[in-house]
Amino acid sequence: MAADRARLGGVLRLIVRAGAPPACASVVIFLLAEALPGDSAVVLGGGRATDEQLARLRAAAGLDRPLAERYADWLAGMLSGEPGHSLLTGRPVAELIGGRIPVTLTLAGAALALAVPLMALLAWSAVRGPRPLRPVITGLVVGGAALPQVALAALLVALLSAGWRLVPPVSLLPVGVPAWSRPDLLVLPVLTLALPAAAYGAALLRGAVADAVSRPFVRDADLRGMSATAVALRYVLPAVAPAAARLLAVVGGGLVAGTAVVETLFGLAGLGELLVSAIGGRDLPVVQAVAMLATVVVGAGLTAADAVAWAVDPRGGAAR
Amino acid sequence: MRAFRTRAAALAAGCVLVIALGGEALAGRDPIRTVAVPWAAAGPGLPLGADALGRDVLARVLAGGRELTLLALAAAAAACALGVAGGLWAGWSRSRAVRTVTALSDLLLVLPLLLVAMLAVVVLPGPSAVVAGTVLGGAPLTLRVVADATAQARHAGYVEVALARGERGLSVLCREVLPAHAGLIGADLGQRTVLAVQLTAALNVLGFGPPPPAPDWAAMLRENLPGIGLNPAALLAPAVALALLAGTVAGLSHVLAARP
Repeated sequence: MAADRARLGGVLRLIVRAGAPPACASVVIFLLAEALPGDSAVVLGGGRATDEQLARLRAAAGLDRPLAERYADWLAGMLSGEPGHSLLTGRPVAELIGGRIPVTLTLAGAALALAVPLMALLAWSAVRGPRPLRPVITGLVVGGAALPQVALAALLVALLSAGWRLVPPVSLLPVGVPAWSRPDLLVLPVLTLALPAAAYGAALLRGAVADAVSRPFVRDADLRGMSATAVALRYVLPAVAPAAARLLAVVGGGLVAGTAVVETLFGLAGLGELLVSAIGGRDLPVVQAVAMLATVVVGAGLTAADAVAWAVDPRGGAAR
Repeated sequence: MRAFRTRAAALAAGCVLVIALGGEALAGRDPIRTVAVPWAAAGPGLPLGADALGRDVLARVLAGGRELTLLALAAAAAACALGVAGGLWAGWSRSRAVRTVTALSDLLLVLPLLLVAMLAVVVLPGPSAVVAGTVLGGAPLTLRVVADATAQARHAGYVEVALARGERGLSVLCREVLPAHAGLIGADLGQRTVLAVQLTAALNVLGFGPPPPAPDWAAMLRENLPGIGLNPAALLAPAVALALLAGTVAGLSHVLAARP
């Protein structure tokens, strides 16, 4: 009975933890529009509308209603997948976003698929790799985590594209061509996203791995003569899994945000590029919808991480 | 050995900072004037060639780090100061307010820094957005580190002695706890600086930095990417400069953090 109640509490906590970041972010994102001088009526009016015309536009768009009511409306629109129309082109925001999702999903997915094993390998070898190599790997991890993404992008372009002529320097994907059909165009963007994420993750994971390795059960297993791989998989992995899962969620969130830089720099028409151009054009409905989507993804990642931590906890999760 | 490493790391970071901040004055070259054809290769008088508009790349690299570095340092200092103040308070006091602030700061921690800064750009000018992003994304990390250290120090001998002498909590925090964690806070300031450099570079590449004719390392990357085949130095020089700035500061921070 008590165990059931504890489990219910755990599930409730997971739901609250998943909902809290997007919920808080939604208020801030909604208020962005309020903080701007001039509202969407001014934008629609093109700067030449009279006060009377502006008032009519505001009434038509419902901008004269109280703030809380407009927030509720706006949130309902977001949740129902109809976040309004672009102020610049007049096209539905959902349609704009839908067209951009495949590119960003391919990019972020490929980057994550590369970053996760690399992160584990780096963190492990910085702690338990060949002794003379450890300081070198630690240096690589610290330096790699510090390297600005844009500088890495430039260095990779110079090396892989201008130096060795392996891949084209900018991606400029033709419209309507799926991103995965041209893997050569994705090499530079994916590396630019994955390498700093892996180094950053490894820099943080290194501490957790070092802690786990110094625990008595790991030393016992070593003394019993278990192979390094078996020790890593059977004892170290479960011990660092909760920390690694949370870290992965944060790194994944950063990776999603990083697509904005990478897509803009390499000329890929994805969600990040849409966000950047919408910010440049003060196209608030688009900005708000893309930002909400990103925070929901981050919230989902954190929930998955919490679920992993809960599942591998030897105390049955309920004790937490 | 350890003292030597700290000194070497400090020297490297110091040199890079001096060149980044004072490069233009040292060199006395004009970063704005057109002096050659676009993306002219390196030659006499132009050691690194010319950029997209035929301007001296060396002059632009020497001048292009000042604003970026100053902004990153200011943003990092603001984030660190706020985080240290909050951390000392959160680690020392046990009130309900502490738990609320810690929960809020943990919530900020999970949002991607770059996304926060990009949303700030909607309502703020670029430099203010960098400061806002660094403070919102960096101060919670500092707060957590300093709060842990303060909570541990609360029961340390030197703190109990000071309290037994009759000193007040605030005075103990500022005169005993804070100096004891100077290395930790120095390392943290370094990490926030790296974060702020990364954020500034990203926002400037996206076009939210200083307006065009002004030299800027990050903007140079975007301007000179198409000319990679003609003058690779125009792209490589600012990339190496950014990497050196972030790398040496991170190295110093790493050495400081490893000190006992």
